[in-house]
Amino acid sequence: MKAIYKVTDIVRLGVFSLLVHKVRSMLTALGIIFGVWSVIAMLAISQGASYESQISLRRLGSDNIIIGSVKPPEDAMAAESGALHYGLTHQDVARMRDNIPGVLRAVVIHSTPKLAYAGGANQHQVTVLATEPGFAGVARARMKEGRFINSLDMLRRASVCVVTDSLADKVFGHGSPMGKTVRLSGMAFVVIGVLDRLPGKLTGGPADAGDYVLIPHTTEQMRFGDMTVVQSQGSEVFERVEVSTAILQMVDEQAVVNGAAIARGMLERSRRQVDYQITVPLEEIEQRKRQMEIWSYVLMAIALVSLVVGGIGIMNIMLAGVTERTREIGIRRALGAKRRDIVVQFLVEAMTLTTAGGLAGILVGLVVPWAVENTLKFKTIVTTQTLVLPFVVAVAVGLISGLYPAMRAARLDPIHALRHE
Amino acid sequence: MIAPEADVLVSLKKLSKVYRMGVQDVVAIGGIDLDIRQGEYVAIMGHSGSGKSTLLNILGCLDRPTGGRYMLGGEDVSVMNDDALSEIRNRRIGFIFQSFNLIHGLSIEENIEVPLFYQGVRRSVRRQRSTELARLVGLGGRLGHRPRELSGGQQQRVAIARALANEPLVLLADEPTGNLDSNTTNEILRLFEELHSAGRTIIMVTHEIDVAEHAHRTVRMADGAIADDTPTARARA
Ligand SMILES: Nc1ncnc2c1ncn2[C@@H]1O[C@H](COP(=O)(O)OP(=O)(O)O)[C@@H](O)[C@H]1O
Ligand SMILES: [Mg+2]
Repeated sequence: MKAIYKVTDIVRLGVFSLLVHKVRSMLTALGIIFGVWSVIAMLAISQGASYESQISLRRLGSDNIIIGSVKPPEDAMAAESGALHYGLTHQDVARMRDNIPGVLRAVVIHSTPKLAYAGGANQHQVTVLATEPGFAGVARARMKEGRFINSLDMLRRASVCVVTDSLADKVFGHGSPMGKTVRLSGMAFVVIGVLDRLPGKLTGGPADAGDYVLIPHTTEQMRFGDMTVVQSQGSEVFERVEVSTAILQMVDEQAVVNGAAIARGMLERSRRQVDYQITVPLEEIEQRKRQMEIWSYVLMAIALVSLVVGGIGIMNIMLAGVTERTREIGIRRALGAKRRDIVVQFLVEAMTLTTAGGLAGILVGLVVPWAVENTLKFKTIVTTQTLVLPFVVAVAVGLISGLYPAMRAARLDPIHALRHE
Repeated sequence: MIAPEADVLVSLKKLSKVYRMGVQDVVAIGGIDLDIRQGEYVAIMGHSGSGKSTLLNILGCLDRPTGGRYMLGGEDVSVMNDDALSEIRNRRIGFIFQSFNLIHGLSIEENIEVPLFYQGVRRSVRRQRSTELARLVGLGGRLGHRPRELSGGQQQRVAIARALANEPLVLLADEPTGNLDSNTTNEILRLFEELHSAGRTIIMVTHEIDVAEHAHRTVRMADGAIADDTPTARARA
């Protein structure tokens, strides 16, 4: 019974002493709060960034091999009947589709810049993508309204088009564009569907350009042929590109890795010049993942260093506190406190301080990423681990740094502690 | 059979304390024998450096002898470990310092209660006891104050109340009036006199003859040895 009174009294004494030494207590708690929240925020932001970049790459499709036509340097180009001819051909794509194992489907895109007109005063610069029904699947395109181009459209060479959401807004204003007419080089196309934005890399267009009109490939060949007119320095230049982008969708990731190597070899042999570029999102995803891993180790190291530095600060304050109170320890010892009574008193102080500071640090550590996400629109991810780890480290550092000087002070003979000034 | 020394409270046999300072030893106490009986009021006198404080610290179990034996209330404390010595300080000894040694963060009543705190006495009982003790030393109205708000004489009264809190076998005081003016010195000495009349055993270190005269026996130390051990005029009176 007496022992219980004594324990509760010593715990109360520990908490009470913190109130007596307010400034020092505040400083120590502040050190812990800063250590904990900065580590939590740092981890949350770095994990958010890593997640974001992987998501954007994943949208390209980790099961795709993307081969784009690229214009080679002017002088290396062979002029053919007054037009520049370069890039992938349908024959190239067919050979790859038939000879590379594990191809689920091959989709071709022919992309041309054009002016679109839908009534009103303005024309709009757009990218026309002539493609086939499989495109929606490999591009992971989501329909906002209507439907995508189907095989019947292809067969009939129908004058229909699918537009991206952002273009629909610009060209048709509010209201639904479904069933309305868009004129491309004077020819009318009826809108049958609206798509979300498409990743630029996939479409062979400028990165993240949002203004696309998608039409059946067969319709384009009938209406426009595969000649592209490019305005360069005042004079008109004709370019002939059969396939702007080919997308090979593979059965699995192993097929992606093997297929990419085979495709490289095939094109190296068949093309006279390097007028193509192979993009493998999977490889980029893996590479980005490795980079992010290295980054997160670096951030981890910084976080640990700042915790250690914070810990040394805490230890310093604790040491100074105990040293300053050596005489008090001497008085208590002279009046009958045992060594463990002293250690328990200081341990309770350290524990109360570090736990309170750690909890406050977690609170701030939750608020800061939330604020960052809402003001800077920066994705952050807070997990239980990133909350608990800094807390545990800070509390452990606080306890050790409180325990060490307390044990040192308790070890002193009462007479030495009393003589301390 | 009861020995003639049955009421001997403090018994020192060949007690010594040697400080090892590098190669040479400083003998603070060089093997002294001393008996003090229940209820005695003893002054320990001597020049500065003669070993008075060293002796009193050993008597108070704040320091350990390097040789000899110290029996307190029939127990051999010279062989005890640190926990047992803490227990002895906590229950058997009341120590009064020249510089008061109050804890500044605590109130007067909390300071008085510290020995009871480490005995595990419950709060309500402690509070009652500290109130009684404060009244006894004449500080009834000051319980909630902090030590720094009191005069030196008042602070020493708090220290005396604290030393009495555990009903000690013996009160030890090292120059208790050394930091006080003559008026307050007299007040403190009057308090000692009252405690002595009530049956307390008091051992007081001082180098002032006027102070020592209040005791009933004077032990004079010189170079770590007892030079002289006589009853005072007051005892003979
Ligand atoms: N901690 C110590 N280390 C070394 N010598 C000490 C220590 N404490 C006291 N002494 C020596 O012991 C002797 C007695 O000291 P002390 O008991 O304080 O004398 P007094 O109280 O009579 O003035 C002195 O010579 C002093 O220098
Ligand atoms: Mg002295």
